[in-house]
Amino acid sequence: MRNTSRLLDILDRMETGPLTDEKDFDMKHIAMGVKRVVKEFGIKFDGANPVNTDDDMADRCFRAAVKLVAEGGAYCKSNGRCLRWTEREILEALDAAPNVLVVGADHEARTVVQRRPEDARAPQVIGGPLGGLVREDQYLATMQSYIQEPLVDMLITGTLDTVYGRDPRARSPWEILVGWHEAELALTAARRAGREGIAMFCVSGASSDIAELSATSYGGFRPTDIHMVAMISEHKTSYDLLNKATHLVKTGSIIHAYCNTIYGGLAGGAEGIAVAETAGMIILQLIYMPATHAGATYHPTLTCNTTLENLWALGLCLQALTRNTPMIVDGVNSPAAGPMTKLLLYEVAAAAVAYTASGAARLMGPRTEASKHISHVSPLEARFMGEVGRAAAGMSREQANELVKQIEARYHGQLGGDVKGVPFDEAYDLHTLRPRAAWVAMYDDVRDEMGALGLALR
Amino acid sequence: MTERPEIKAALAQAILDGDAGEGAALAQRALDAGLAPAQIFDECVVPTLKDVGDRFSRLELFLPEMMMSAEAVKEILAVLEPVMKAQAKSLSLGTVVIGSAAGDIHDIGRNMVTTMLEINGFQVIDLGGDVNPQVFLKAARERQADVIAVSSLLTTSLPYVKDLFAMLRETGEYGKFKVMIGGGSVNSEFAEKVGAHGYGKDAAEAVTVARRLAGR
Repeated sequence: MRNTSRLLDILDRMETGPLTDEKDFDMKHIAMGVKRVVKEFGIKFDGANPVNTDDDMADRCFRAAVKLVAEGGAYCKSNGRCLRWTEREILEALDAAPNVLVVGADHEARTVVQRRPEDARAPQVIGGPLGGLVREDQYLATMQSYIQEPLVDMLITGTLDTVYGRDPRARSPWEILVGWHEAELALTAARRAGREGIAMFCVSGASSDIAELSATSYGGFRPTDIHMVAMISEHKTSYDLLNKATHLVKTGSIIHAYCNTIYGGLAGGAEGIAVAETAGMIILQLIYMPATHAGATYHPTLTCNTTLENLWALGLCLQALTRNTPMIVDGVNSPAAGPMTKLLLYEVAAAAVAYTASGAARLMGPRTEASKHISHVSPLEARFMGEVGRAAAGMSREQANELVKQIEARYHGQLGGDVKGVPFDEAYDLHTLRPRAAWVAMYDDVRDEMGALGLALR
Repeated sequence: MTERPEIKAALAQAILDGDAGEGAALAQRALDAGLAPAQIFDECVVPTLKDVGDRFSRLELFLPEMMMSAEAVKEILAVLEPVMKAQAKSLSLGTVVIGSAAGDIHDIGRNMVTTMLEINGFQVIDLGGDVNPQVFLKAARERQADVIAVSSLLTTSLPYVKDLFAMLRETGEYGKFKVMIGGGSVNSEFAEKVGAHGYGKDAAEAVTVARRLAGR
């Protein structure tokens, strides 16, 4: 539920919460707080099984996260104050979270609903570069290639690497131009693909509030699109981010919020990031009133979320939230490897199975090659992610766990090496907007491998 | 120090445990026992910190533990440094001014690098996030920094990184302050293009680069 009075309540808390030293917040609340609740609630990763199969563990993770939020709240970097809620206020806000919404328009409208662990319904597919940099001269072709994929329900745009050939600059007129250019090109791509009404996650180029505020206005992104607001790791917000949320509430836009917890960072290991990510998504609901949420926990150097620890942690978080709240939670698929490598497809498959079985409403991405190189993306992996999501729907977590173990073994220990793929124009023919034969052959091989493992793709 | 292995072991354990109070007390005990501060630092603090850094690089321990070890070492140095200063010696490998580029308020990666630099013996001045080029330059002048370290996770912050290099060239201070860059939006190609003196792909590599730039 969201409305102006709730927005005012959030802003009041932001201005009147206790003044807190940021380092104290990091150490006492996040580092020590996470450690304390992990121990108190007995959260444990065994290091071998990437999909949690224990309902009680998922519920304990949820209770640990609620306690963490009730004890420490969120931190506003702009004024050095903590936003605080009681446990009762937290639970009431979560109960009021929407569990259904409609995005997109006309025959591209999609009804998004909460999925739960082992849900028989297939997750929807949010295809796109997920904010990764895309060459300006190929932006239109790249977005059109994603949109024309039949399994892609919604688009998540990439970020323009230049705007009219110039370097974009945060908090400057250039950032506003980036936001507008992203809207112009993405909307044109949708028209060219014959899917004008498709919902788009935007504004990827909004590194501050100004691009979001400008491009979410007349002639830009539409009310039926999905507007992203992030949280700063861990459990922090700012005036910039709350500016976005306030604007989106007052324009009646659909808000999608996300947070990314860093493995090995302040929250510590697998158990800590599972609880911190769950708490982070709870905070998102408290401060931005989003309709949907996405989570990702990232490896600190590989910046992917396909390692065993990260698969387990995000899966547990998804289970914790979807078993205990009405929240619609998506799973970000963030592989380390690049286009035209089998490793990429293995990583995508492992994450898609783990998050589908754990209750992800939608699979998002893939964030190919962890967005490390410009235009190292291709829509074929989004198609593959959707196919795996369909095949994994209804699978028990025990089955998913065994399957993910077998898939993960195919890339285990290899992600730190040279996993760089090729750019879009080498993976796709820019004239036909079709994947090149060599890439399709690789994809077919991996589909066959998945079939041999019992994952029937269609 | 070699003749007092029990103090050495206890001090190392205090650093590993992140026990600042115990670390300071043991450092004082070592001094009282007649050990030279440089000997305590070189034979105990440095190898223990290297061990902590190596374990963090392998993700065998995590940022909070490393930050607590760094806090313990700060307390230990607070005991050792007055004695060193009296002997006109310094334990610091150099001064690094660090911050996230303008427009970028992310701080987890920067915190990792800051802590790794601290535990490896650098004095680190953390300017925080969203730092304008002129603020980097002012701080580097005031603190007589050896190295300016700029973190950037957002591509839209990169023009501000370029501005810093332009400013250094305009003021004739390019080279006086060595500049290293890192973060998700930069890579070695970008570093070379803008004329950075070093690029670190992660916290461990940042230490190696800072050592090289500081001439240690």
